Amino acid sequence: MSFTIILCYLALLLFLGIFAGRLLKKSSGDFFLASRGIGPFMLLMSVFGTTMTAFALIGSTGKTFEFGIGVYGLMASWSGIIHAAIFFLIGAKVWALGKKHGYVTQIAYFRDRYQSDGVALLLFPLVVCFVVLYILMGVIGAGRFIEGVTPETFSSDKVTTVELKADIGELNIPPPWKKRAAYNQETGTVTVTDWEGHLTYNAETGTLAATGSLHPKRKGLFMNLSKAPEWKKAVGALVAKAPRGAVPKWAGMAIVCLVVLFYVFFGGMRATAWANTMQTLVFMVMGLIAFYVITKELGGPVEASKKLLANEAKNSRMAREGLIGQWQFLTYCFIPLSVGMFPHLFQHWLTAKKASNFKLTVVAHPICILITWVPCVLLGMWAFGVLPDTTNPNAVLGVMVARYSGEVLAGLIGAGVLAAIMSSMDSQFLCLSSLFTNDIISHHFGKDGISDEKKILLGRGFVVLIVLICYLIGLSNTQSVFDLGIWCFTGFAGLFPILFAALYWKRSNKQGAIAGVLTLAVLETAGYLLSLAEHEGEFLILGMMPVAFIVAITTAVMVIVTLLTPPPDEELVEKFFPAKN
Amino acid sequence: MCPRVIHPGHQDGGDLTAARRFRMIMRNPEDSTTFKRPETGIMRILVIVLILLLAILHHDWWWWDAKEPLVLGFMPIGLAWHAGISLAAGLVGLVAVKFCWPDHLDEEEETGKAAADAGKEEAS
Repeated sequence: MSFTIILCYLALLLFLGIFAGRLLKKSSGDFFLASRGIGPFMLLMSVFGTTMTAFALIGSTGKTFEFGIGVYGLMASWSGIIHAAIFFLIGAKVWALGKKHGYVTQIAYFRDRYQSDGVALLLFPLVVCFVVLYILMGVIGAGRFIEGVTPETFSSDKVTTVELKADIGELNIPPPWKKRAAYNQETGTVTVTDWEGHLTYNAETGTLAATGSLHPKRKGLFMNLSKAPEWKKAVGALVAKAPRGAVPKWAGMAIVCLVVLFYVFFGGMRATAWANTMQTLVFMVMGLIAFYVITKELGGPVEASKKLLANEAKNSRMAREGLIGQWQFLTYCFIPLSVGMFPHLFQHWLTAKKASNFKLTVVAHPICILITWVPCVLLGMWAFGVLPDTTNPNAVLGVMVARYSGEVLAGLIGAGVLAAIMSSMDSQFLCLSSLFTNDIISHHFGKDGISDEKKILLGRGFVVLIVLICYLIGLSNTQSVFDLGIWCFTGFAGLFPILFAALYWKRSNKQGAIAGVLTLAVLETAGYLLSLAEHEGEFLILGMMPVAFIVAITTAVMVIVTLLTPPPDEELVEKFFPAKN
Repeated sequence: MCPRVIHPGHQDGGDLTAARRFRMIMRNPEDSTTFKRPETGIMRILVIVLILLLAILHHDWWWWDAKEPLVLGFMPIGLAWHAGISLAAGLVGLVAVKFCWPDHLDEEEETGKAAADAGKEEAS
């Protein structure tokens, strides 16, 4: 059922792509920037959807389960303040410059601002590398998630057997499960109404066998058939060993990549903006629905919090003491700066019809964060009270949904999580396509002029290649990719001072920018290598986030080199900082 | 039934609903019937001060180990405080777009468009 709902949602996205493709004018301006015609609401939804990944639903719940409610202050409320300030100070200004000088990408702006191919060629691989990392997290996350929410989608004839090393006595179906399960004492078989398989207990041979694919949610029912610890151990081993009958990770990854590639290729930025609007609404609404259903099952929000507060062993997640450091909390403010340098967001800014369209985004973005994050943080907090401490944090939302709701809701929430993943991925695909087409092909090899159709074709080819590489990496062991995630944001945040100087500091020159980019590349690599030695918990330097040091050092190097080298030409300064009449 | 029209000279903005007022600000920040626009320079300083204040209030060490009170009966105070920070960020954003918005960005664009249109007409 869950998989059917997810498939329906993906089909809806394909339809949207085809529809947007029909409206696509055959120009690269329309393909990459939707002819700069996006209104305030779609801009808000595109920008919000692009900045929020699956982390907004799964990660926020899981991190709260791990580190308590401080996660909201750490990641959400800092983002609310800093993102809004960036949209105000950077977004609208970038839009105006893009419109005036015809930029399609971030790199094009830097090249023109510093009149330097060097800056652009240094930035290109760095930015592409960070975006690829970001895409990888999305692709792998989508594959894992689909696999997680679709158990028992495919039936199986396989019989899984485990041995019991002690006698566990007779099996009994406890009263709460009697509507769903029946036990035949003669055959030793348990039949479950919504499961095609059978659980067979053979007391003579001391074995437990399951026929067919098995959803981990059955574990609770099976474990309650006997109180013997040996029985519980055997059931745990059986569930872990049995085929899940889920959509495999490779297939989930491929399906999501193909759907996103399809609507991005057919509809370009217009389809991306429409899809983002729809997907953002979907994941916000699904998050709220999950909150409502689970909270109701927990006895209402007041009851759930009261119970947790009364449980001395479990109520630590209602505060921050011992879970998050004060310096870590303070220096986390540098991470949201990364949004200013996301090339895919930069491109979304350029799609606005007019500068004043940014107003709604500035005002409503922190509120959208509030609406999405607060319910998930509360769920994570309550989950700590009802789930074992050893639960995998990334599985907390899934487990809560499976435990407290039906398959339909699980499917809908699955669609919501995929919406959050894909609403970032589509912009990243399109952005890579524009970076390659405009900044490499057109700029370096297109002196004789390349037709718009050829440009779009080359951009598509590059994206297919990148997606293929991401897919192949995703098939291998991938945990290290998620460990790299924080370094992707750190890298973008480290580049932020260069963007800020380019926009607001007349004296800023190419030498300073190049020095800043090189410093960031060195620090980022060194920081990552140092973090590999840290085996447990978050990698911190003197209790602070490494990004704080990286931003400070990059800024210092950029400023010093700028001041030690000649200022930019007056003509260039006049172009980017025209005197106000 | 005639739709109610707010005349440009109408000074009584007191009965406007919050939603309508917000829409009017978004559509036309210069409309004097909704607000009188103070000096941009002063407001710019005010917005900067408000953002700094938000950043300071964000570091709420005073709630660090507080699990209670439960706001609305279910939200630990530390979380409620930060939800309030997000709301306040939206309000500061509203003040910023109302009083400090760089209107010249769109004006330049419109002037440029008007000049281009005039050029086209002359050419034809």
